[in-house]
This record gives sequence, structure tokens and C-alpha cells, in this order.
Amino acid sequence: MRRRASLVLLAFAVFFAALSPLIRWYAFPRLAKIPPSQYQTMVLEAKNATLLDYATMRSKKVPKVSIVQTLKGNVEASEKIERNTDRDVVVWDTLSYVADHKGKLVSAIPERYIFDAHTQEPVHARGESVDGDPVRREGIEFKWPFLTEKRDYQYYDFQARTSAPIHYKGTRTVHGLETYYFEQTIPWTKVKVPKRLPLGATPETVEQVGLERWYTTKRMFWVEPVTGAPVDGQEIHKEQMRWKDQPGRKPLTAFAGHVKMRPDFQEATVDLVSSQRRLVLALTAYLPWGFLVLGGLLLALSLTLEARSRGRGRGTAGEGAAVGDDGPAGDGTGPGGGTGTEGTPATGPPGGGRHRQPV
Amino acid sequence: MRALVAAGIGLVAALALVFAITAMGVPPGETSKKPLHTTVPEHP
Repeated sequence: MRRRASLVLLAFAVFFAALSPLIRWYAFPRLAKIPPSQYQTMVLEAKNATLLDYATMRSKKVPKVSIVQTLKGNVEASEKIERNTDRDVVVWDTLSYVADHKGKLVSAIPERYIFDAHTQEPVHARGESVDGDPVRREGIEFKWPFLTEKRDYQYYDFQARTSAPIHYKGTRTVHGLETYYFEQTIPWTKVKVPKRLPLGATPETVEQVGLERWYTTKRMFWVEPVTGAPVDGQEIHKEQMRWKDQPGRKPLTAFAGHVKMRPDFQEATVDLVSSQRRLVLALTAYLPWGFLVLGGLLLALSLTLEARSRGRGRGTAGEGAAVGDDGPAGDGTGPGGGTGTEGTPATGPPGGGRHRQPV
Repeated sequence: MRALVAAGIGLVAALALVFAITAMGVPPGETSKKPLHTTVPEHP
């Protein structure tokens, strides 16, 4: 009975010990992914910002500018791309809608961002765009990969439509979560004018007036490294309308402000990230380590049972042999290992009197 | 020998479980009916 129990325990020990690396190195990379149907909203604010009034073509101070960022997973589009790429793909249709303190449109830039659901690497497919223009992204955007590393990444800037390094600057604690802090500075760069502007202004009308749009930003992200999700983001952002071919003429400030996550949205993000973090940790740490320890304990228990069982068998055999000294020596092969005197049944298994073969 | 068989059963069961779970994967869900915001939401 003990022997059977030790074999069952051994099977479970191997089961759990094998699950440990399988979960970490096989299941996790396949199961951890961004769901293609994700829908998320983020509101950022710049208080006491400067905005260009397109009616008067003068810059003015406003109490607040809000940036509403919506990410919407397009499941049909991702399935279509998956059929051709043989990868798990996520397609995000996003809109960065900028509104003034009265809620009126300042600009709106839609994007289609296509990326690998597991690694967050961009996937190049038809439809990848910024403000309706086809683009080819390199590097990450919006989110870092699962298990973010302490190193620089390439980050795609949708305004400049190029990628540049975003530098790892150390660890910081945000709302009790350990985060990796990343920083990217985009120097003054000429960028495209958004297609949706106030008062029906268009890139063409802006060009006709003789203006071109320039932009610079210092972008800061606090990234929770297990999920790769930013739990805080800020930008010190400046935009100018510069007069074409008139370097001496004073540019118009189109926007200037320190953009920060609105506190209620940041708290919601922290809550979401904390729950997702536990799921990722379950696959990368809790289950692998738990199963490894459990496997070890079961193996130890199995060996203990086996050793006791052997000891008992040896003891029984010893008793039989001691008694058998007075009687004729058996060959040890009798039923019940009856190597003792007649009428002294041994308790060992058939063939008792011999040691069990090691498991 | 029986110990090897027991260990083999444990290993095969672990492989089968992990392969089955990963093969099932995660359901993709549906595209949200919610719009891309063009107003500032009051709450998250």
C-alpha cells in the first residue's frame, strides 16, 4: 500500500515539477497577450496652457486643455491580418482628441496601430496609418512589452512619424507600484498639420497662410514592468506655427503646456494594471515557483514513504532470518517470503526476505 | 521500472495539460460598440 502511495506521489511530483518550467517558458509566452477586443480611454490635461486661437491667429492662455485618447481593438481587422501573417495581431483604432477648456475641438488625430499581441512589436500591414496617412512604425507605442527590461526602447512618435530612443532612467514608485521611468526628448521638428482643426481649418489653408507646424516634446512614462503598461505619463509639449521662409518673423505658439494624466483616470489605470499584474505574475512567478516547491515536497514525501516501506520490509526480513536461524534455510522465494520456521508467516511481499528493488 | 512509469505518467499529464490550455488560447471577443471619444468623459 505504501509502495503504491509513493508511486502516486512520485507521479504527482513529476507532474508539478514539469509544470513549473512549462508554464513559465511555454505557456506564458503564448497566453500572455493583449486581447484584440480591448477598449480603453485615457484623459490627460494641461492646466494653464497656451493655445492658438484660429479666429484671431493669436496665442492665448486657457485654464485647461484636455487630451482624450481612446484605444479601440478592431477584432475583425486583426483576424483578417492574422490570416496572412500567422501571428496573433492586435489592431487598435485610436483617436487623440484635443479639446479646450470649453470642450471645443483643438485637433483630432486618428491612428491605426497594428502590433504583435505578445511582443508589442509593430506588424506592418495595410491600414497602418496616422491621421489617414500610411506609415511604417518601428518600435513601440502606447505600451511596453510584458516583462519590460531596464533598457532603452525605440518609441514611435506619432507627431513626427518617426521612432527615436526612449531612455530608461531608473525605478520610481507610483501609487505603491514599482515602475521603470522612461524619458524621450523630441527636438524641434517640422510636423504635419492635423487634418481636423478648429473653424474648419485644414492643412491646405494653413499652408496658404504661409505657416508650417513645428513641435518639440519631453515625453515621460512610468511603466509597470510586469505588464509593460504605463501607469503615469506626462509631456512637456510645445507646438509652433512658423512663418515659411520668414525666419525673422515671430512664430505663433499653437500649444504649450505640461500634459499630465487626469488623477481619476490614473487611479483607474493603476487598479487595472494591478489586477493584470497579478495575472502575469501568476504565470511567471507564483505558479512556476509554487509548483516547483510542491513537486519537491511530493518527491520528498514519496521517497520517505518508499524508504519506510523498504525499512519495514528489511526489518521483517531480518526478523524472519533471525527466527530462521533455528530452522532450515529457505530460498527466500516462497509465498510471503517464508524463510523462517514453518508456521511463521512473513509479512513481506512475495519474495520477501530480499530487499526491494530501488524505485 | 514502476517508478519510471509513474514519472512518465506525471510528465505526460503535465505536457498534455499545458498543450491543451495553450491550444485553447484566449477567446478574441468582439469589437466594442463604444465610440472613439470626441468629448471629455466625466468618469473613467
